[in-house]
Amino acid sequence: MTRRIVWTITFIGGLFFLLEFLLPEQAPEWLGGIKNPLTPYLGGVTNFLVVVATMAFLLGPFILLRSHVGNLVRRRQGWLEGLVFVVFLAASLLAAALREEQVRSVLSVLYDALFFGVLMAFFASSMALLAFYLVSAAHRAFRVSSLEAGLMMAAAAIVLLGQVPLGDWLTQGLPKSLQLASVTQWILGVPNTAVQRAVMIGACGGAFVAGFRQWLGLGKGAS
Amino acid sequence: MVQWLARLHELNPRWLYLATGLLMIVPFVILIPMPAGTPSRATQGLYDAIESCPPDKVVWIDSSWDQGSRAENEAQLGCVVRHLCRRHVRFVVTSVGITPFGPEFAERTIRPIAEEAGYVYGRDWVNTGFVQAPTSTSLALVINGLARDFHSIRPADVHGTPIGDLALMQKVRTIRDIHLIYAITYSPAQEWISFIKGQFGTPVAFGCMSIMAPSYYAFLDSGQLCGVLVGNRGAAQYEALIGRPSLGTRLSMAQSFGNAAIILAALVGNLGLWAARRARSKAP
Repeated sequence: MTRRIVWTITFIGGLFFLLEFLLPEQAPEWLGGIKNPLTPYLGGVTNFLVVVATMAFLLGPFILLRSHVGNLVRRRQGWLEGLVFVVFLAASLLAAALREEQVRSVLSVLYDALFFGVLMAFFASSMALLAFYLVSAAHRAFRVSSLEAGLMMAAAAIVLLGQVPLGDWLTQGLPKSLQLASVTQWILGVPNTAVQRAVMIGACGGAFVAGFRQWLGLGKGAS
Repeated sequence: MVQWLARLHELNPRWLYLATGLLMIVPFVILIPMPAGTPSRATQGLYDAIESCPPDKVVWIDSSWDQGSRAENEAQLGCVVRHLCRRHVRFVVTSVGITPFGPEFAERTIRPIAEEAGYVYGRDWVNTGFVQAPTSTSLALVINGLARDFHSIRPADVHGTPIGDLALMQKVRTIRDIHLIYAITYSPAQEWISFIKGQFGTPVAFGCMSIMAPSYYAFLDSGQLCGVLVGNRGAAQYEALIGRPSLGTRLSMAQSFGNAAIILAALVGNLGLWAARRARSKAP
């Protein structure tokens, strides 16, 4: 029964968006020039979608909270991490919901400290680590063991240098067509574009079929 | 010599980390002059699109990035906002899907530039905040909804002010009031192309991370994207076009040495492996 309800909502929603998109804004004069009857409802239906999406977004914190509070109450392994999570979640929610913009208060200081002091620092550190991982991976794993691997490395080196000023500086004495920036643009604009198009055509066909199956309730677990 | 080179294969990664760190920090401390390079077709396209903006239209910026891609997206947003302010083009900022931190980062980047240019919030620019759209399908539908009737999807701005009370938003209701859409994030969604350029013909431009740029060249080639700022390189080229080198120029210098470190590491690793194999084959 639940599945039928979900499928019915999916089908009606899909039909609404499809028809609203395909029907012209206004019918030709010989058809009476009537406006698309679905367009006035577009805002409301899209807002419904945003509300449902937000509810789905809230599931993540709820599941995390349930798991961590369980660990905390029963003093299971990882209870300390659970405590950190609960404290930060509560403090962030409190600071974000109750602070008044343009007013300097304890809550706005707490918000800035959590957002810019803690979260940004964590984000930046984890992203900055990628640079070191990349260099380490290039040293340990990028092996020129065949002609194809050699070609790939050559293309990667050209594109890596062609997208930064160092590449311009290294080849500024060469004719324009041989400069790294020009060769990079050629690699990205010709062979890369051809491959990207081929991949996109295949992927879009797959996405179309998957979407159609989901809409008609033929997808896995839909019936 | 071969024995010495073979040691490169087993090089302690800590030396690599140290070299990488130094290579990327030094350009921030010592300014190394390097050519800005000729702006690519992708950069020039965005610049030309903003230059051709008529006075009665506005630019829609979708700034959906946070700390994860700040290293490249911040400069891409800053240089374009500076150009808009210089040309007195008004703009509306959204953060559709991707990250709820988008409006906060956008505000912190835009406000100082806008205030320096004498822009007044609500009259010359508006930040409409985050719209939830976690999947590509919902993203497409939200983009479509905003384009058809902006006010019904975003009834208030990021500060909670009713959108109808903002002077600029009284003139911006649908996509017909928009001259250009500039979407900046780690990897802008192709739904902007199909639902905006495809449906209404409004020009679309992207600002993306360097590693995601290859996906967009096909759209540049077909004219479905009027421009793309590719990483800090794109931002640096844009800053050169508006004659104000700043964050993008400085960061692209550091990126130069970071990219060089990756290539050097691969070369050293391969050289070491070759030498190690050669040493083993010569061993009695």
